[in-house]
Amino acid sequence: MYVCLCLGVTSRTVAEAVAAGATTANAVAEACGAGSECARCRRSVRAIIDAAAAEPGSTEPRPG
Amino acid sequence: MNIAEVYRHSMVIASDYRIPDPSRVWPLLERRKDGLADMGAHHVLIYRSLTEPGRVLVMIGVRSREPVVDLLRSRVFFDWFDAVGVEDIPAVFAGEIIDRYELIEAAPDDPPGVLVSGIVSVDNAAWLISELHSAKPTFRDAGVRKVWVFQAFDDSREVMILQEIDNADNARRWIRQHDEAAAWMADTGVGVYPPLFIGEFVQMLRINGEQ
Repeated sequence: MYVCLCLGVTSRTVAEAVAAGATTANAVAEACGAGSECARCRRSVRAIIDAAAAEPGSTEPRPG
Repeated sequence: MNIAEVYRHSMVIASDYRIPDPSRVWPLLERRKDGLADMGAHHVLIYRSLTEPGRVLVMIGVRSREPVVDLLRSRVFFDWFDAVGVEDIPAVFAGEIIDRYELIEAAPDDPPGVLVSGIVSVDNAAWLISELHSAKPTFRDAGVRKVWVFQAFDDSREVMILQEIDNADNARRWIRQHDEAAAWMADTGVGVYPPLFIGEFVQMLRINGEQ
Protein backbone atom coordinates (compact mmCIF):
# COMPACT_ATOMS: atom_id res chain seq x y z
CA MET A 1 0.00 0.00 0.00
CA TYR A 2 1.08 3.57 -0.53
CA VAL A 3 1.69 5.06 2.89
CA CYS A 4 3.21 8.44 2.08
CA LEU A 5 1.32 10.05 -0.79
CA CYS A 6 3.64 13.06 -0.89
CA LEU A 7 6.64 10.95 -1.87
CA GLY A 8 4.95 7.74 -2.99
CA VAL A 9 6.56 5.62 -0.29
CA THR A 10 5.05 2.16 0.11
CA SER A 11 4.36 0.07 3.20
CA ARG A 12 7.02 -2.37 2.08
CA THR A 13 9.65 0.37 1.97
CA VAL A 14 8.62 1.57 5.42
CA ALA A 15 8.72 -2.02 6.73
CA GLU A 16 12.23 -2.40 5.32
CA ALA A 17 13.30 0.80 7.06
CA VAL A 18 11.85 -0.53 10.32
CA ALA A 19 13.57 -3.88 9.83
CA ALA A 20 16.83 -2.00 9.30
CA GLY A 21 16.49 -0.36 12.70
CA ALA A 22 14.13 2.62 12.47
CA THR A 23 11.93 2.47 15.57
CA THR A 24 10.33 5.92 15.51
CA ALA A 25 8.38 7.91 12.92
CA ASN A 26 11.26 10.38 12.76
CA ALA A 27 13.76 7.62 12.11
CA VAL A 28 11.54 6.20 9.34
CA ALA A 29 11.23 9.67 7.78
CA GLU A 30 14.99 10.00 7.81
CA ALA A 31 15.51 6.52 6.37
CA CYS A 32 13.04 6.55 3.50
CA GLY A 33 11.25 9.90 3.47
CA ALA A 34 7.82 8.63 4.57
CA GLY A 35 6.19 11.28 6.73
CA SER A 36 8.87 13.88 6.05
CA GLU A 37 6.64 16.22 4.03
CA CYS A 38 3.10 16.83 5.32
CA ALA A 39 3.47 14.19 8.08
CA ARG A 40 -0.18 13.14 7.76
CA CYS A 41 0.82 9.51 7.16
CA ARG A 42 2.66 9.14 10.44
CA ARG A 43 -0.16 7.17 12.02
CA SER A 44 0.29 4.53 9.30
CA VAL A 45 4.05 4.64 9.79
CA ARG A 46 3.60 4.08 13.51
CA ALA A 47 1.23 1.16 12.82
CA ILE A 48 3.98 -0.52 10.81
CA ILE A 49 6.52 0.12 13.58
CA ASP A 50 4.12 -1.29 16.20
CA ALA A 51 3.36 -4.38 14.10
CA ALA A 52 7.07 -5.08 13.67
CA ALA A 53 7.67 -4.68 17.40
CA ALA A 54 4.81 -7.08 18.15
CA GLU A 55 6.14 -9.82 15.89
CA PRO A 56 7.35 -12.92 17.71
CA GLY A 57 11.10 -12.77 18.07
CA SER A 58 11.28 -9.00 17.81
CA THR A 59 13.89 -7.55 20.10
CA GLU A 60 12.57 -4.03 19.76
CA PRO A 61 10.77 -2.60 22.75
CA ARG A 62 7.10 -1.90 22.03
CA PRO A 63 6.56 1.85 21.87
CA GLY A 64 4.58 2.96 24.82
CA MET B 1 -23.10 -3.60 -7.24
CA ASN B 2 -21.00 -2.44 -10.13
CA ILE B 3 -17.46 -3.29 -9.19
CA ALA B 4 -16.96 -4.50 -12.77
CA GLU B 5 -17.29 -0.91 -13.97
CA VAL B 6 -14.55 0.24 -11.67
CA TYR B 7 -11.87 -2.24 -12.62
CA ARG B 8 -12.57 -2.64 -16.33
CA HIS B 9 -9.42 -1.82 -18.33
CA SER B 10 -8.09 0.25 -15.50
CA MET B 11 -6.37 0.47 -12.18
CA VAL B 12 -8.24 0.61 -8.92
CA ILE B 13 -7.33 2.98 -6.12
CA ALA B 14 -9.00 2.04 -2.83
CA SER B 15 -8.94 3.74 0.52
CA ASP B 16 -10.68 2.89 3.76
CA TYR B 17 -11.09 5.44 6.54
CA ARG B 18 -13.32 6.85 9.23
CA ILE B 19 -14.96 10.22 8.83
CA PRO B 20 -17.27 12.26 11.02
CA ASP B 21 -20.17 12.31 8.55
CA PRO B 22 -20.30 9.62 5.81
CA SER B 23 -23.34 11.26 4.24
CA ARG B 24 -21.04 14.06 3.01
CA VAL B 25 -18.99 11.69 0.84
CA TRP B 26 -21.36 11.66 -2.09
CA PRO B 27 -21.97 15.43 -2.46
CA LEU B 28 -18.29 16.18 -1.95
CA LEU B 29 -17.33 13.69 -4.66
CA GLU B 30 -19.91 15.20 -7.00
CA ARG B 31 -18.28 18.59 -6.52
CA ARG B 32 -14.88 17.15 -7.43
CA LYS B 33 -15.91 15.47 -10.65
CA ASP B 34 -13.68 17.71 -12.75
CA GLY B 35 -10.60 17.00 -10.67
CA LEU B 36 -11.35 13.29 -10.73
CA ALA B 37 -11.82 13.41 -14.50
CA ASP B 38 -8.48 15.20 -14.90
CA MET B 39 -6.69 12.36 -13.16
CA GLY B 40 -8.42 9.78 -15.38
CA ALA B 41 -11.06 8.54 -12.94
CA HIS B 42 -14.13 7.07 -14.63
CA HIS B 43 -16.13 5.56 -11.76
CA VAL B 44 -16.13 5.92 -7.99
CA LEU B 45 -17.83 3.38 -5.73
CA ILE B 46 -18.73 4.17 -2.15
CA TYR B 47 -19.46 1.63 0.59
CA ARG B 48 -20.52 2.31 4.18
CA SER B 49 -19.53 0.02 7.04
CA LEU B 50 -22.33 -1.96 8.67
CA THR B 51 -20.30 -2.56 11.81
CA GLU B 52 -18.31 0.65 12.43
CA PRO B 53 -20.14 3.96 12.25
CA GLY B 54 -18.28 6.51 10.14
CA ARG B 55 -16.12 4.00 8.30
CA VAL B 56 -16.25 4.10 4.50
CA LEU B 57 -14.53 2.29 1.64
CA VAL B 58 -14.04 4.32 -1.53
CA MET B 59 -12.83 2.66 -4.73
CA ILE B 60 -11.86 4.71 -7.76
CA GLY B 61 -11.44 3.26 -11.24
CA VAL B 62 -8.75 5.16 -13.13
CA ARG B 63 -7.48 5.04 -16.70
CA SER B 64 -4.28 7.00 -16.89
CA ARG B 65 -0.83 6.88 -18.42
CA GLU B 66 0.52 8.72 -15.41
CA PRO B 67 2.51 6.65 -12.93
CA VAL B 68 0.32 5.79 -9.96
CA VAL B 69 2.66 7.70 -7.64
CA ASP B 70 2.00 10.90 -9.59
CA LEU B 71 -1.75 10.34 -9.37
CA LEU B 72 -1.62 9.80 -5.63
CA ARG B 73 0.38 12.93 -4.96
CA SER B 74 -2.02 15.07 -6.99
CA ARG B 75 -3.99 17.69 -5.11
CA VAL B 76 -7.20 15.75 -5.75
CA PHE B 77 -6.46 13.27 -2.99
CA PHE B 78 -5.27 15.80 -0.46
CA ASP B 79 -8.20 18.12 -1.15
CA TRP B 80 -10.53 15.17 -0.84
CA PHE B 81 -9.20 14.06 2.53
CA ASP B 82 -9.34 17.65 3.77
CA ALA B 83 -12.94 18.04 2.62
CA VAL B 84 -14.23 14.89 4.32
CA GLY B 85 -12.40 15.67 7.54
CA VAL B 86 -9.60 13.08 7.44
CA GLU B 87 -6.55 14.41 9.25
CA ASP B 88 -4.42 11.24 9.26
CA ILE B 89 -4.22 10.13 5.66
CA PRO B 90 -4.74 6.36 5.39
CA ALA B 91 -2.58 4.03 3.37
CA VAL B 92 -3.96 3.65 -0.14
CA PHE B 93 -4.22 0.46 -2.20
CA ALA B 94 -3.48 0.76 -5.91
CA GLY B 95 -3.64 -2.28 -8.15
CA GLU B 96 -5.42 -4.23 -10.84
CA ILE B 97 -7.80 -7.15 -11.05
CA ILE B 98 -6.16 -10.57 -11.31
CA ASP B 99 -9.17 -12.84 -10.75
CA ARG B 100 -12.93 -12.77 -10.36
CA TYR B 101 -15.77 -15.23 -10.41
CA GLU B 102 -19.46 -15.42 -9.74
CA LEU B 103 -20.81 -18.22 -7.57
CA ILE B 104 -24.47 -17.30 -7.15
CA GLU B 105 -26.36 -15.30 -9.71
CA ALA B 106 -28.53 -12.79 -7.87
CA ALA B 107 -32.08 -12.38 -9.15
CA PRO B 108 -33.07 -8.85 -10.20
CA ASP B 109 -35.33 -8.47 -7.17
CA ASP B 110 -32.78 -9.81 -4.67
CA PRO B 111 -31.59 -7.22 -2.17
CA PRO B 112 -28.08 -5.89 -2.76
CA GLY B 113 -25.40 -8.00 -1.17
CA VAL B 114 -22.97 -7.14 1.57
CA LEU B 115 -19.34 -6.41 0.69
CA VAL B 116 -16.55 -7.95 2.73
CA SER B 117 -13.18 -6.46 1.83
CA GLY B 118 -9.74 -7.28 3.11
CA ILE B 119 -6.20 -6.33 2.15
CA VAL B 120 -3.44 -8.72 3.14
CA SER B 121 0.08 -9.71 2.25
CA VAL B 122 0.33 -13.33 1.10
CA ASP B 123 3.35 -15.46 0.27
CA ASN B 124 2.04 -16.32 -3.17
CA ALA B 125 -0.93 -14.65 -4.87
CA ALA B 126 -1.26 -17.43 -7.47
CA TRP B 127 -1.51 -20.02 -4.71
CA LEU B 128 -4.17 -17.95 -2.95
CA ILE B 129 -6.24 -17.79 -6.13
CA SER B 130 -5.95 -21.53 -6.57
CA GLU B 131 -7.13 -22.05 -2.98
CA LEU B 132 -10.07 -19.71 -3.52
CA HIS B 133 -11.11 -21.65 -6.61
CA SER B 134 -10.80 -25.01 -4.89
CA ALA B 135 -13.16 -23.84 -2.16
CA LYS B 136 -15.93 -22.55 -4.43
CA PRO B 137 -18.59 -24.98 -3.11
CA THR B 138 -17.93 -23.88 0.46
CA PHE B 139 -18.05 -20.24 -0.51
CA ARG B 140 -21.35 -20.81 -2.31
CA ASP B 141 -22.85 -22.57 0.71
CA ALA B 142 -21.82 -19.61 2.86
CA GLY B 143 -23.75 -17.20 0.65
CA VAL B 144 -20.76 -15.74 -1.19
CA ARG B 145 -22.09 -14.52 -4.53
CA LYS B 146 -18.99 -13.05 -6.13
CA VAL B 147 -15.27 -12.79 -5.50
CA TRP B 148 -12.78 -10.28 -6.89
CA VAL B 149 -9.03 -10.36 -6.29
CA PHE B 150 -6.81 -7.36 -6.97
CA GLN B 151 -3.01 -7.33 -6.85
CA ALA B 152 -1.10 -4.25 -5.76
CA PHE B 153 1.22 -2.53 -8.22
CA ASP B 154 3.82 -1.82 -5.58
CA ASP B 155 4.00 -5.29 -4.04
CA SER B 156 3.02 -8.49 -5.86
CA ARG B 157 2.36 -10.21 -2.52
CA GLU B 158 -0.26 -7.67 -1.55
CA VAL B 159 -3.84 -8.44 -2.53
CA MET B 160 -7.23 -6.90 -1.95
CA ILE B 161 -10.01 -9.49 -1.87
CA LEU B 162 -13.64 -8.46 -2.18
CA GLN B 163 -16.49 -10.85 -1.48
CA GLU B 164 -20.12 -10.06 -2.11
CA ILE B 165 -22.27 -12.03 0.32
CA ASP B 166 -26.04 -12.33 0.04
CA ASN B 167 -26.92 -10.77 3.40
CA ALA B 168 -25.42 -9.30 6.56
CA ASP B 169 -26.17 -12.33 8.75
CA ASN B 170 -24.35 -14.66 6.38
CA ALA B 171 -21.50 -12.17 6.10
CA ARG B 172 -21.04 -12.10 9.88
CA ARG B 173 -21.29 -15.90 10.08
CA TRP B 174 -18.74 -16.31 7.26
CA ILE B 175 -16.28 -14.02 8.97
CA ARG B 176 -16.56 -15.95 12.23
CA GLN B 177 -16.54 -19.46 10.77
CA HIS B 178 -14.97 -19.31 7.37
CA ASP B 179 -13.36 -21.98 5.27
CA GLU B 180 -9.61 -22.62 5.37
CA ALA B 181 -9.37 -21.01 1.92
CA ALA B 182 -10.54 -17.76 3.49
CA ALA B 183 -8.10 -17.97 6.39
CA TRP B 184 -6.49 -14.78 5.08
CA MET B 185 -9.40 -12.88 6.62
CA ALA B 186 -7.87 -13.46 10.04
CA ASP B 187 -4.68 -11.69 8.90
CA THR B 188 -6.33 -8.36 8.12
CA GLY B 189 -5.88 -5.40 10.42
CA VAL B 190 -2.17 -5.97 11.00
CA GLY B 191 0.21 -3.05 10.67
CA VAL B 192 -0.89 -0.70 7.94
CA TYR B 193 -3.60 -3.03 6.64
CA PRO B 194 -7.14 -2.04 7.67
CA PRO B 195 -9.33 -4.49 9.57
CA LEU B 196 -11.86 -6.47 7.55
CA PHE B 197 -14.48 -4.16 6.08
CA ILE B 198 -18.12 -5.27 6.10
CA GLY B 199 -20.32 -2.80 4.35
CA GLU B 200 -23.15 -1.93 2.05
CA PHE B 201 -23.11 -0.22 -1.30
CA VAL B 202 -24.02 3.45 -1.05
CA GLN B 203 -23.60 4.93 -4.48
CA MET B 204 -21.62 4.94 -7.71
CA LEU B 205 -20.41 8.13 -9.33
CA ARG B 206 -19.94 8.01 -13.09
CA ILE B 207 -17.52 10.53 -14.50
CA ASN B 208 -17.48 12.01 -17.98
CA GLY B 209 -20.57 10.25 -19.21
CA GLU B 210 -19.32 6.74 -18.40
CA GLN B 211 -22.09 4.15 -18.33
